Amino acid sequence: MPEVKLVSEHFGNELARGLKWRLQNGGYEGAKKAMAMSPDEVVEEVTQSYLRGLGGAGFPTGRKWSFVPRDTGKPIYLCVNADEAEPGTFKDRYILEWDPHLLIEGIIICAHALGIETAYIYIRGEYVQPYERLQKAVDEAYEAGILGKKVLGGDVKLDVFIHRGAGAYICGEETALLESIEGKKGWPRLKPPFPAVVGLFGCPTVINNVETISHLPKIILKGGRWFADIGVERNGGTRLFALSGSVNRPGVYELPMGTPLRELIFDRGEGVLGGRKLKAVIPGGASAALLTADEIDAPLDFDSMAKIGTMLGSGAVIAIDESVCIVQTLHNLEHFFSHESCGQCTPCREGTGWVFKILGRIIEGNGRLSDLDTLRSLAENMTGTSICALCDGAAMPLRSCVQKFFHEFEHYIRYKKPYSERREAASA
Amino acid sequence: MSEAFEFTKENRQALERILARYPVKRAALLPALHLVQEQHGFVPPEAEQYVSDLLEVPLIDVREVLTFYSLYFREKKGRHHIRLCMSIACWIRGCDGVRDRLEAKLGVEEGGTTSDGRISWEAVPDCLGACEMAPMLQLDGYFHADLTPERVDELLGRLASQSTE
Amino acid sequence: MPTITIDGQQVNVAPGTTVIQAAEKLGVYIPRYCYHPGLSVAGSCRMCLVEVENMPKLQISCYTQAQDGMKIGTRSEKAIQGRQAMLEFLLINHPLDCPVCDQSGECDLQNFYMEHGRYQSRFMEDKIKRKKAYAIGSHVVLDQERCILCTRCTRFTEEISRTHELGVFSRGNRSVIDLFPGKTLDNPYSGNVIDICPVGALTERQFRFKCRVWYLRQEESICTGCSRGCNIAIHFNPTRRYKAGGRRVQRLKPRFNPEVNSWWMCDYGRFGFEFIDRNRIERPQLGSDHGPQPADWEAALDAAAAAIREAIDEHGPQSVGVIASPQMSNEELFAAYELFHNRLGLTRLALRNPWEEAGPEDELLLKADRNPNAMGGESIGWTEAADALLREAGSGRVQVLFIFRHEFSNAEAIESLNSAAFVIYQGTNWNQTAKTADVVLAGAVHAEKDGTFANFEGRIQRFRQALLPLEDSRADLDILNDLADRLGQPLAFHDAESVFHAWRRMTYSELDEYGMLLTEKSEVGA
Repeated sequence: MPEVKLVSEHFGNELARGLKWRLQNGGYEGAKKAMAMSPDEVVEEVTQSYLRGLGGAGFPTGRKWSFVPRDTGKPIYLCVNADEAEPGTFKDRYILEWDPHLLIEGIIICAHALGIETAYIYIRGEYVQPYERLQKAVDEAYEAGILGKKVLGGDVKLDVFIHRGAGAYICGEETALLESIEGKKGWPRLKPPFPAVVGLFGCPTVINNVETISHLPKIILKGGRWFADIGVERNGGTRLFALSGSVNRPGVYELPMGTPLRELIFDRGEGVLGGRKLKAVIPGGASAALLTADEIDAPLDFDSMAKIGTMLGSGAVIAIDESVCIVQTLHNLEHFFSHESCGQCTPCREGTGWVFKILGRIIEGNGRLSDLDTLRSLAENMTGTSICALCDGAAMPLRSCVQKFFHEFEHYIRYKKPYSERREAASA
Repeated sequence: MSEAFEFTKENRQALERILARYPVKRAALLPALHLVQEQHGFVPPEAEQYVSDLLEVPLIDVREVLTFYSLYFREKKGRHHIRLCMSIACWIRGCDGVRDRLEAKLGVEEGGTTSDGRISWEAVPDCLGACEMAPMLQLDGYFHADLTPERVDELLGRLASQSTE
Repeated sequence: MPTITIDGQQVNVAPGTTVIQAAEKLGVYIPRYCYHPGLSVAGSCRMCLVEVENMPKLQISCYTQAQDGMKIGTRSEKAIQGRQAMLEFLLINHPLDCPVCDQSGECDLQNFYMEHGRYQSRFMEDKIKRKKAYAIGSHVVLDQERCILCTRCTRFTEEISRTHELGVFSRGNRSVIDLFPGKTLDNPYSGNVIDICPVGALTERQFRFKCRVWYLRQEESICTGCSRGCNIAIHFNPTRRYKAGGRRVQRLKPRFNPEVNSWWMCDYGRFGFEFIDRNRIERPQLGSDHGPQPADWEAALDAAAAAIREAIDEHGPQSVGVIASPQMSNEELFAAYELFHNRLGLTRLALRNPWEEAGPEDELLLKADRNPNAMGGESIGWTEAADALLREAGSGRVQVLFIFRHEFSNAEAIESLNSAAFVIYQGTNWNQTAKTADVVLAGAVHAEKDGTFANFEGRIQRFRQALLPLEDSRADLDILNDLADRLGQPLAFHDAESVFHAWRRMTYSELDEYGMLLTEKSEVGA
C-alpha cells in the first residue's frame, strides 16, 4: 500500500513549523470548519471515522468522548498525551517537531466538540527540542488570536498549556499523567472512576494521544466516512509507524491501517540491516508480544494484531535480525520495565525486578533450566494483577520470548553463550 | 549549613506565569523543580524547602516527586550532561560499544562526572524516543544520532574545543 | 440493598460496601496489607484478590463494590493461587529472619504465609539491601528491608495525623519509605504507624526486644491520659518482670471504638503508662515525724476511721472534708458519695481537677481536660468546690481532710493541709501530699481494677482488671468498703459491678460495646 500522508504531510518541511506558511497551506481550515459545526456534529464525524486511540490502547476516540458528562457544572479538561516513552516509539515527536500547528488545530476541534476551555499538553521531559518547537507554535497561535480569549476570532476561549514531564515512562498512563500534572508522583489511580468522569483536578477529562488529536483536522475537512474508508474495518484512517532496529531505513512512516507488517519492514524500511535474515519483530512497542519472522504477513491494525496474540500498541515496530540474541533482547526490555515500574503494586514492583535479575543471571552464565519454568510462571502471575498495564506490558514480551524462542534460552543456559552471535557494533 | 535557595527575579516571574496556568498551586510543582534545576544545575534540599513553602506542598511530597522522576538531579552534575540511550532500538544497533567508548574517553564511570567538572554522563535504560537515530544520546537535552565509537570521539572533541573557546 | 454471595453465603450490605467489608460481615477475613478501614484505599498490595463470577481477572476486594447478585470466591483455587503469587512477590526482597524480628508473632507476612506460603522458595537472586533498623522518631524504628511498601504509614501521616513526615521515595523496586533528611517522626500520634504496619518495618523503640508477643496477655481498658477515653488494650506480662526492668505492663494498644477514637490513640496516652509500675504506694502508711511509715491495713484503716468518727462526734459532720478526683472511677465516686454524703452526712465534699495545667487539645483525639472521668462525678452528685473547702480547712474549721489522688503543690494549699488536724490520703503513686499525710491508703491503678469512666461527652465506658493490685495495695472500692464497715455503715458493694448497678440500674453486660452516654441511661433509670 502506498503511504497516505494525513498527519505526516509536512514532515521534513522546515517551513511548516511556522504559522504563516502553515496558514497559507491549509492550516486551521479543519478547525474553522469544526467551529461552524455543532459540537455533536463534530463528535459524530469522529465516531464515524473509527479513529482509534493511537497512544497504544486503540480505544475508539468518539466513544471515549461520549463518556464525558457535560452537565456537572465543572470545567472539562483536555490532556494531550505527548509522553511518548514506550521503547521504540518516536512518532509523536515528528508531529511535535515538524507540524505543531496541526496538533494545535486538532486541540481546537476537540475543545469545540466537548466544550473545553483548557488543554494541557503533557510532553515528556526528555523532549527538549520538540518542547521548544511546540512552545513556539503555541506562542504564535496566541499572538495570532488562534488561541486565547477568542479562538480563531470567535467567541469561545481556549488556553493551551504545555506541561513538561520529568522522566517517568509511567506518566504516559492516563491517570499517572493526571497525577503528574497535579504535581504528584506518577502513581496510576484506581479505576473507576475513569478520567472522563473524575479526571484532572477532579473534573471530567478527556486524554488523547498527539497523533489521535492531529488526525482531527482532516477528519473534519474530509469527513469521518472518508477517513474510515482509508483503513480497515473498525480501524479508521492511517497511522504513523515508528520503525527501528535492524532495518536499513528506520523512520516514521504513515500507512493505512491494515498494511501488512512485512510491507513496512521490507518496502519502507528497505529490508534487514546488513542483508541478514529477520528473526523477530516487536510490532507495537516494548509491551507487545514478539512475533517471529513467519508472522509478519499479518496486517497492522489493532484487531488483527490482537488476533495473533500481540498488539499494535503505540505503532512502534522494532525489527530484530538473526544476529541478535533474544535472551539479551528480553533482558534489555525487562531492564526497562523494572526501571520504569512506579513501584505501587506488588507484582509489578517485585516481579519486574525479579525477572530482570533472573535474565541477568542467565546471561552471566549462571542460569538453570528451572529458571524457564519460573519465568513462565512469573509472566502469568504478573498478568492482570496490577492497577495499570505496565506489569502486563512487562509480561507480554516475557511470555512470548520464552514461548517462541525457548531454544535460545535453553541454549544460553546450557552453553553459557548466546544462540546468535551478537555483532560487536552497529554497522549501519 | 547550606545557604538558603531563592529564585532569581526572572524565575520568580516565570513561576508566577506558570501558576496562572493551573487552578491549584501544587500543579506547578514539576515546572517549579525544572526551574530550580535550570537556575541551580540541580535541586538541593534548601530548594525543596523553598518550593514547598512557595507552593504550599508538604516537604515530604516534594521529596517524593523529586526522587520519583529521573530527570531531576539531587547533586551537582558536569557543565555538560550526557544521557546515552540504552533501550532496545539503540541496543540492537550497538549502544554497548558507544557506552564503552564514552566511559573510556571520559575516564569516569557511568553516573559520574569528569574530575574537571566538565562532563557528567549516564546510560539510561529508558528509551529517549529517537530510535531512528539509534544509537543516540542526549547532550544537554539535544539529540545526537547514529553514534559509533568514532563519532563519540568527534563529539567529545567538539565539546572540548567549545569549552576552551 | 445489594445481596451478594461470598463463599456460598449470602449477605445484604449497604450500597457502596466493598467486598472486603461485606466478607467481614460474614466473618470471612480476606488477607490484606495495604487496606486499612481507617485509611483511604490504596489498592496496591494486591493481596486481597478474590474471584468474582463472570470476571476474567481476579479483583481486589478492598476496592470492588458489592453489586447485587455478585458471586465471590475468596478461597477458590484461583483466588488462593493469586494471593500466593502476591505473597511470593512480597517475600522475595523481605528478609527471612523471623526469629530475630521483633514483629514475630504478630506479623501478617507470617500469618498469611500459613495458608499462602510456597514453602519452597524459587528466588535465587540477591535481596535488595536497604537501610536497617534506625530510629525515625522518639518512639518508632524503621527497617526498610522489612517494609513491603503497603503505604499505610504514609497515608496515616497524610490523612490522619496530617503531619506529612513519611513518604515513598524513588520508584519501582528502589522504592523506600523514609523521612525528609533531618526530620523526625515526632507527632502526637506517631505510635499508630507501629500498630498499622502489618510487618516488622515499623516497631516500637521502647518495646523492641523487651518481650516476645506470645508472652503477652491483654485486657480491655480505657486510657486515663485525658477525657477522650480512648479504648485501649493493656498488654502485660506479670510473670516475666525480670525481663523488663520490673515492669508488668509492656505496652498499650488502641482498641477500635467508632464513637471515641476509631483505631487510634495519642502518644501521651500510649507511652504514659510508667506510673502503673513506678513510684507506687505499695502498702498503707502511717505518718510520723520521719515521714510515712509502712503499716498494715488494719492499723491504717483503724486510724482513718477513728479520726473521722472522732471529728464527727466532737465537731459535727461539717468538720470532715473530702476531696475526690475525676481520676476515680464512677463506681468509686458513687461509693464514696454514698458513704461520706448519704451515710455519714458530710457536707464538705468537693470534686477537684488534680491538674494545674490543661493538656494539649486538637481536632483528632486529644482533650485539654486530662481526667478520664470528666463527667461521671457531677452526675453522681459531686460538685466542684475544692477551693472553698481548702479555705475552710485553712481556717481550722475542718478537722479531717480525706484526699483522693491529689497533689497540692502551691503554698496556700499546703498551708491549708497543715492546718487540718488530720489528713487521710488515698491514692496510687507517691507525691508530696501523700508523703505528709497522717494516713496513706494504698489504692490500685485502673489496670488493677474494674470500673467505668464517663468521658468528655459523658460516654460511660468500661475498663477491666488486667493485673492484681501491686504488692499490698488494694482496689479503692475494697478500701472504702472496709472503711465503711469500721464507721458502722457497711455499703454491701461486693464488687464494682454492684456499685454500677446501684448507680445505673444495669449490669456491665448491658452497657453497649462502644459505651453509653450518661443521658441515655437517665431515661431508662427514671
